[in-house]
Amino acid sequence: MRRLLRLVVLAGLAIWAWRALVGRHEHSERASVSYADGSSIVLEPGSAAFERLAGVARGAFGPSAR
Amino acid sequence: MDAAQALEELAELSSQVDRAVVIRADGSVLAATPDDAAGAAGAERLARAALDLVATAFDLHGTPQEVSRVDVELGEGALFVVREGGRTIAATTGPRPTTGLVVYDLRTCLQRIGEEPKPKRRRAARKPEEDGE
Repeated sequence: MRRLLRLVVLAGLAIWAWRALVGRHEHSERASVSYADGSSIVLEPGSAAFERLAGVARGAFGPSAR
Repeated sequence: MDAAQALEELAELSSQVDRAVVIRADGSVLAATPDDAAGAAGAERLARAALDLVATAFDLHGTPQEVSRVDVELGEGALFVVREGGRTIAATTGPRPTTGLVVYDLRTCLQRIGEEPKPKRRRAARKPEEDGE
């Protein structure tokens, strides 16, 4: 029983650490567009639209950032 | 206030903005923040990326709709484009910027361009009192 409890605690800690370190980094990339009619869209990495915008935006940071 | 002065003020006020350019309606660069490393080529590159970004964002909407703002946050930094009154301002920041604050600063900068400095109130010179004859 004690071993099981220890395993659960360790698994919880591992999930927390993963979210804190990797998850935070993943969510740091995003794009948003607002239009004159008041509508807006938010794009997350992985979508084709985000990759198109990100590809263009990388051009602003110079060749070293590409 | 002219565009160069407005960008100078932006650079002083916003600690997050690294580089910025103001773009005319025809796509040419009106003014840029001083950037010794990248120079004029850097300003041109930023302007081109901003215009391409607006064109790409325009294509994303189902119906033709004017783009008023685009921001893309990447690991290496973020690119913001704000359009208002026929002018466009584009700026780069470091990673994880405070989006609302940067957009507010850029909008304020655009609004300051072409703004007439408030005239100083001048007191009308007193006419010498005429003695009643």
